[in-house]
Amino acid sequence: MNRREFLRIAAASGAAVAGGISNGALFGSYDQLESHARLAVVQNGLPAAMVQKAIEALGGIGRFVKRGDVVVVKPNIGWDRVPEQAATTNPEVVAEIVRLCLHAGASKVKVFDRTCNEPRRCYHRSQIEQLARQAGAEVSHIYEQKFKTAAIPNGQQLKSWPFYADALEADVYINVPIAKHHSLSRLTLGLKNTMGIIGGNRGQIHNHFDQKIVDLNTVIRPQLTIIDAVRILVNNGPQGGNLNDVKETKTIIASIDPVAADAYAATLFGLRPTELSFLVEAQKRGLGSFDFNQMKIEKIDLKA
Amino acid sequence: MRSSPLIGIATFLATKILISTLIVGLVILGLSLLIGRYFCGWICPLGTVIDLSDRLHQKFLRGKPNTIRPLRAWKYSILIVILIAALFSTQVIWFFDPIVIITRSMTAAVYPLIAFLLESGLKLLLSVGILQDQLFSLYDLFRQRILPINPIFFQQSMTFAVIFIGILLLGLLARRFWCRYLCPLGALFGSFATLRFTQGIAVASDKCIDCGKCQRICKMDAINADYRSHARSECIECMSCVAVCPTSAISYQLRPKFAPQRIDISRRRFVYSSASGLIALGLIKTGFKNPIATGQVVRPPGALPEPEFLNRCVRCQECVKICSTTGACLQPGLLESGWEGLWTPLVNARHGYCEYNCNLCGKVCPTGAIHPLELSQKQQLRMGTAYFDKSRCIPWYRGEDCLVCEEHCPLPDKAIKFDIREARRPDGTVAVVKFPYVDEKLCIGCGICVTKCPVPGPGGLFLTNAHQQRWGQEAEF
Repeated sequence: MNRREFLRIAAASGAAVAGGISNGALFGSYDQLESHARLAVVQNGLPAAMVQKAIEALGGIGRFVKRGDVVVVKPNIGWDRVPEQAATTNPEVVAEIVRLCLHAGASKVKVFDRTCNEPRRCYHRSQIEQLARQAGAEVSHIYEQKFKTAAIPNGQQLKSWPFYADALEADVYINVPIAKHHSLSRLTLGLKNTMGIIGGNRGQIHNHFDQKIVDLNTVIRPQLTIIDAVRILVNNGPQGGNLNDVKETKTIIASIDPVAADAYAATLFGLRPTELSFLVEAQKRGLGSFDFNQMKIEKIDLKA
Repeated sequence: MRSSPLIGIATFLATKILISTLIVGLVILGLSLLIGRYFCGWICPLGTVIDLSDRLHQKFLRGKPNTIRPLRAWKYSILIVILIAALFSTQVIWFFDPIVIITRSMTAAVYPLIAFLLESGLKLLLSVGILQDQLFSLYDLFRQRILPINPIFFQQSMTFAVIFIGILLLGLLARRFWCRYLCPLGALFGSFATLRFTQGIAVASDKCIDCGKCQRICKMDAINADYRSHARSECIECMSCVAVCPTSAISYQLRPKFAPQRIDISRRRFVYSSASGLIALGLIKTGFKNPIATGQVVRPPGALPEPEFLNRCVRCQECVKICSTTGACLQPGLLESGWEGLWTPLVNARHGYCEYNCNLCGKVCPTGAIHPLELSQKQQLRMGTAYFDKSRCIPWYRGEDCLVCEEHCPLPDKAIKFDIREARRPDGTVAVVKFPYVDEKLCIGCGICVTKCPVPGPGGLFLTNAHQQRWGQEAEF
């Protein structure tokens, strides 16, 4: 499958989502896309600076966020851990993205996650609550009432599942996972970060995980995936807790293609994308591509 | 609760250990020698609530007799039963102490109810579908200030509510029924008040016009028929009589006067009470404890060794309440650890788990039944151990990957590990599956694996108190 074909399928399936995300900004103009990188990798800078450079390389925040848009920035706040333990998204990365979106004229930037540990503890200890709020985001906890069951027309294992309404209704959805180890899926990255906006018994996603996680990602289609690899957790994920398992990689990966972003992040762990079965499944189902030879990649080293 | 002298004394009798809060209690009790049952009239929160509800009862009471004086002796009987039981190391103070009752009722019945009603109200408004944004921000505000982040649940909140409401409804028979006739703490203060060496309420006989207003207003029915004398053990120093007296015949004086009065308990009743106390504690002690249930009694982290824990714990439910907004694992027990363990906190891991970074239960425990732990201590202390039920765990019985338990295990080096092996599935196909198991050396029994297990019903894991480590003891291996 070539890129053109992928975009066509992606646009079609995106449009099929009831009340789904407006994909106009992303898929409206194919030519415009070509002039920018599809995947940007920035290394060796401060978190905020790396975020700025990465988004710039993709064509600037203005390509994604239009004046008046409601933006959802979805970090991983799953655990009651401090940023140094690399179990939750770097708070400075989240804050910088919020700032950029507001600068581009977003009417509102929402930040939330359905946590695994007690929510207040996670929001606080990860420092995402404080820094994102300072940057101007609306940081709120999850409300059961806001989960709406959405059909998954292209689902193979799942035909419908409750999703968080704020995520479904956002004009722009920016996925901001942290790259870390996970025993079941080997790694948890952007696609798996979608678990944070679904309701129901999430444990049930874990068998036939590859297919189910792709099913969910046919509904939630981030316009932009920014992977925090400032620090990565290489073992005992996804909670970690042991500082010896944390590796400082000082990297930000950004892409309009969620599969490409995840696939590139896998290389930081010494894994080939084909070793991650959920990525193979995602590419097969047309969510994106990890054929790096067929896409424009921009690598920036801020130290050089 | 630290200030209730009765808790201090009963705990001292039961544990035979001098606890520091006893001193505060004794000071408060000692003050009774000076100013009588001031505690009941001015401090006791249960007394305050009873006063408020009695006001509502007034309509029904009008014109009816407001006194059942023979019952005055009951409170002494209850006191004696408690103290006798405590002497023989069976603590029952938690059932009767008014400070505990009010705390338990508020934490386990009133607060959850208020939270539920507020939340339901908001949900109802939200379902109308207008002003949703504003309602959600209101909801947010509530959650930040008064509401718990998740709805809270108590086993037996109904029981606690029934007892609480029952105590308030007794006010229909007589005002402050509980305080006059049942409260053992009142009995303790009352007995000290009879030995007071100050005057208190004083009546100038010549000024008194026998109007009887003072007797009618007295909540405690302490004033005798002559309107000139009163029972020192009953007077709670509220001074309503001073205020109501039309001729200012009643005054409050702290001049020295020692005139001990008999307390309202006969020798025969004293003996009966002591005997019934012995019988009750004997029955409690000889009750059969189900070994299966007791093996699953997992106590909060930092709990003292079981006998001492049972003696110290006053079942106030403060730990349960603080836990309900974090991990939500603690619940008041029923008879899992016998009658002695009624309402003590125990872990219900299927409902909630012990947050790895939380040590609040020990911090709020007023009696030291749960030792306040540093976080680093708590994270290493074993509450128990989880085990797999291979007939229910998905990889084991179905041959499919799951590993939710391992994902959630908070230990830096994971107490749940797994083998990767080929497995034959029930349909005959062969697949490579990750089989989880518990590393007994590492598991601290926080129970998050049990809570998060996606299997409906009993789940693929269960928690026992194997290898538990009580405060001051080594882990049992």
